[in-house]
Amino acid sequence: MNTECANLLSFLSGELGEKEKKAFTEHLRQCSECTREYEQMTEAWNSLKWDFEEMEPSSSLKSEVMNFVFETDDEVLVRKEKNWSGFFFKQFTPVTSGLLLAVLVLVFVLLYSNIQLKKELAAINLPMEVKTSLSLQPADKTAVNMNTDGAAYILQQGDERRLIVQIQNLPSLQESEVYQVWLLKDGKRRNAGTFKPDEAGTGSLTYKLSIDDKFNQIGITKEPDSNSTKPRGEKIVGSS
Amino acid sequence: MRLKEKLDKELMALVMKKHRPALEELYDRHIKLIYGYIFKFTNGNAEKTKEIVQLVFLKLWTTKSSYNSEKGHFVSWLLTVTRNVCVDYVRKDSVHIRNNKHMDMSHPIDIEDPNNDIENGLLHSEIANAKSKLSKPQKRLIDLLYWKGYSLTEIAKIENEPVGTIKSRLHQSLKLLKKHLEVGGL
Repeated sequence: MNTECANLLSFLSGELGEKEKKAFTEHLRQCSECTREYEQMTEAWNSLKWDFEEMEPSSSLKSEVMNFVFETDDEVLVRKEKNWSGFFFKQFTPVTSGLLLAVLVLVFVLLYSNIQLKKELAAINLPMEVKTSLSLQPADKTAVNMNTDGAAYILQQGDERRLIVQIQNLPSLQESEVYQVWLLKDGKRRNAGTFKPDEAGTGSLTYKLSIDDKFNQIGITKEPDSNSTKPRGEKIVGSS
Repeated sequence: MRLKEKLDKELMALVMKKHRPALEELYDRHIKLIYGYIFKFTNGNAEKTKEIVQLVFLKLWTTKSSYNSEKGHFVSWLLTVTRNVCVDYVRKDSVHIRNNKHMDMSHPIDIEDPNNDIENGLLHSEIANAKSKLSKPQKRLIDLLYWKGYSLTEIAKIENEPVGTIKSRLHQSLKLLKKHLEVGGL
C-alpha cells in the first residue's frame, strides 16, 4: 500500500487529471492489490449504469436532435474555415503587404528583363538577312566633280529590322555640321539620325527601324547641327 | 445490406464516415435507453434531458475515438459516453458547484429509485436488487457520485465529512454491490 493506492476510487469515478491518471495507470500495472481491487470495483461501478428505466421520448425529439447535430456540425466547419481565412489575412500587416508588393514588382521586372534577354539571345542565333538594298547617288547630278556614292540596306534578324547607311567621298564638314539621314514616304520625312564622316569622307550610320517605319526613299542632308527636326541644309545624296 | 440489418458497431463505423441515416438508425434503436438514462441523471428535468440528448448525439457524430468491441458491449459503451456528456454538462453549468454552497442540508437529496417493473431488463433488476441491500448513506453516496456527477471532494463537503470517510464508504458500497450482484447472478 502506498500513496498511489489511495487514488483508486478517484481513478474509478474519473476524477483524476490527465497527469494523475497516467501515474495511476502505471501504478496499476505494478500493484497487484490495486489491480484486484480495481477489477472488483469496476464491475460494481459499471453495473450502476443499469440502474434506470428506459423511457419513450416525444416523437418530435428526433428531428430536434438531428437538426441540432447536423446544424452544429456545419457551423463548426464554417467556423473552422473562417478561422483559417482570418488567420491567413492576419498575416498581412501594412509592412508585410508592402514588402510583398515590392517583391512582386521586383519579380515582375526581373521576369520581364529575363524574357527580353532571352528574346535577344534567340535573335542572335538567327541569320541576318538583307531585305532591301538601295544605292545612293549625289543629289546634284550636275556636280561632276562629286564622286560621292554609297548604299543603304535594310537588314532583318528575327523581328528586328535595321537600316545601314554607308557613304564614301563625302564633302568635309565645318565644326558643328553633321549629315542627317531622312526617311521619306509620301512626301513625309522622318529623322533617322545624324553622323559625321571620317577625314577620307567615309561615313556610316545604323538605325533601328520600328515596325511601322515604312519608307520608299532615303535622303541625306548637310545640317548646321544635330538638332534638326526637318531639313535645313542642302540635300547631298539620296536614293533614286 | 439495409441499415436496419446492420450491427450497432457497423452503424457506428458509418457514422464515423458522416453517414447521416446511420446516426438516425442508432437513434431509433437506442433513444429509449439514452433518454431514460439522462432523465434519471437530470432528476426528471425534461428540458435538460433534451439538451443532453442533443449533446450525446453530437458527440457520437463528431467523436474521433471510434467504438470497437474491445470497449465492451456497444450499449455499455454508449451509456459510458452518455454519462461523460452528462457529467460534463453539470460541471460546465457550474451551477452544480454553486449549488453546493447553498445546499440546504436539512432536506436530503432525493433520488427516486425506479419502481421494479416487469419491463425492466435483467441487468436493471439485478442492480436494483443489489442496491436495495445498501445502507441509506451508502445508497446516497452512490447516487450523488454516479447519478449527480459530484466529485468525492464535493460529496465530502456536502456531507460535512472527511474525504477519507467518503472514500472508505464508497469502497464498502461497491464491495457490497459486487457481492449481491454475484449472488443475484447465481
